[in-house]
Amino acid sequence: MVLKQHLGLLASGSVVALFCLFGFIAPFVDYSAQDAVNQRERQFCPPLFLDATPQQSKTCPKPTGSFFGTDHLGREVGIRLFKGIQAVFFPGCLAALLAIFIGGLLGAVGGYGRGIFRGATLGFIRIIDTLPRMVFLILICTIFRPSITLIALVAGILSIPTVATVVRDKVERLASEDYILAYIAHGFRPVKILLYHILWLQCRSLLIRQASFIFGYIVFIEAALCYLGDYGVQEPDPSWGNMIAQAKSYALMSTWPWLFPSLAAMITIAAFMAFGNVVANRDEVVKR
Amino acid sequence: MNTLLSVNGLSIDFDTKAGRRRVVDNISFSVGEGEVLGVLGESGSGKTITTSAVLGLIQGHPGVVSGQILLSSPDGTSDLLDGLEGVLTGKKGDEVKNVRRWDRLVSRRMESVWGRQMTAIFQNPRASLDPLIKVGTQVAESVALAHPNWNSNRIREKALHWLERVQLSAPQRVYVSYAHELSGGMCQRVMIAVALAREPRLLIADEPTTGLDTTVRAEVVKLFSQLIEEEDRAMMYISHDVREVLYLADRVIVMKDGAILETSSANDIRQGCGKRAAYTQFLLESAGIVGGGSNV
Repeated sequence: MVLKQHLGLLASGSVVALFCLFGFIAPFVDYSAQDAVNQRERQFCPPLFLDATPQQSKTCPKPTGSFFGTDHLGREVGIRLFKGIQAVFFPGCLAALLAIFIGGLLGAVGGYGRGIFRGATLGFIRIIDTLPRMVFLILICTIFRPSITLIALVAGILSIPTVATVVRDKVERLASEDYILAYIAHGFRPVKILLYHILWLQCRSLLIRQASFIFGYIVFIEAALCYLGDYGVQEPDPSWGNMIAQAKSYALMSTWPWLFPSLAAMITIAAFMAFGNVVANRDEVVKR
Repeated sequence: MNTLLSVNGLSIDFDTKAGRRRVVDNISFSVGEGEVLGVLGESGSGKTITTSAVLGLIQGHPGVVSGQILLSSPDGTSDLLDGLEGVLTGKKGDEVKNVRRWDRLVSRRMESVWGRQMTAIFQNPRASLDPLIKVGTQVAESVALAHPNWNSNRIREKALHWLERVQLSAPQRVYVSYAHELSGGMCQRVMIAVALAREPRLLIADEPTTGLDTTVRAEVVKLFSQLIEEEDRAMMYISHDVREVLYLADRVIVMKDGAILETSSANDIRQGCGKRAAYTQFLLESAGIVGGGSNV
């Protein structure tokens, strides 16, 4: 019963926790042993649980010893999957934080502020909102040297309007609530009412949800940009996106080099979306 | 008795699609220090909009607010509406701009008034409390505003003291409750505690008993009368209930259709002395009080 109640949180939370854990430790792992192996010899080795075809068994030692198989250059898919997490982890954090901080503040000012502040923030939000995200990202990537940090930065900025709009709607509705009027009448400072009572207490779950969505969106956008034209993380650094992009040429010869990163990306994106929802909903329930 | 608040010739008009509509028509009244002024009137008589005007909480609506609202503070008497006349009127098409300018000017002026000089208790107690903060914390926040130099222990003690003062049976338990865990009557007591903890010179209670059942109303009114005696604070008590107003107030103004029909001492009305306006007489009769002798 208890398990069933918390199943959503457990499932999504464990994926998210694992992802974050790997994201933190991936940069500190020593990959030199892996690089030293003469990898050309071991290309397209199947994962442990698949039987090798006669042709594959010529090049692959038995047992293959690689759980997720190897790719067209004989590199371990499993290790590249793990290493690929660090490619999107910190940029994802950067984008999510950027979007919820700036978006939250702009939304709050746009919903609660008056006069020139309000006009300026709403104008700024609308201008960013008119940019078509994908096209703009590809444009940025073609103009500058493709870098995942740059992509995350731009994607974070492009996510500001979404965050700002939901926050603004909520703030605008709350501003005329009786208890906010009561706070004003009691002489509370407007900045405190806005930042603490409205933004932190009321919009917190909204922001958690948005941050989680944006993180999932960064994983997605990185994969999409790699697939569309090598705009994402550059070889030899692995990312889930460029693993899929490279494996697509050999898609029929071997399934595992593209299947595992696709699954990983899918599960991660779904888990982040679900995690945001679950945490936000629980926060709402606790509050009521 | 020194006059604390004096409203002279206050008129409020709102611009609607059907033209300008006068909702408060040239009213004047005053509240002395330590005095309780009852404002009596039916719904739509302009009671609430008058109090909103005094509180500076008329929010964004084009129209005209004119007259004087004189508030005496230790620093001297100031007119809250000084220089605000005509802000809300202006060229056609400028309504939104005017309303914003009005809001900005009013909140700048009221900054030193809100809380310190006057504060309010609104109708619908539960909606007036923050749903996400424990009610004790809300009282404590009020105390902290009234006494910025106090440390947290002292603030907490004082907050508990206020919760006791409003006769909540288990102040310790209420302190850690959220508004939704309390009954309507308890919420209103907490609200009174929050307002009193701010230690304002003038307390405006706008229909504080609306939405409570009869027995709870009687208790809340009784609480008000005790607090008035102990605290010696000036208060405006706005209600449509003749009995409540007569029970609490020293002086009563009767409003109808945005105008003041009568100002007399509550004692006179209770005892049936002097001449009554026809509408006041009607209100008294409909409440079952003819000529005098009221009790809650």
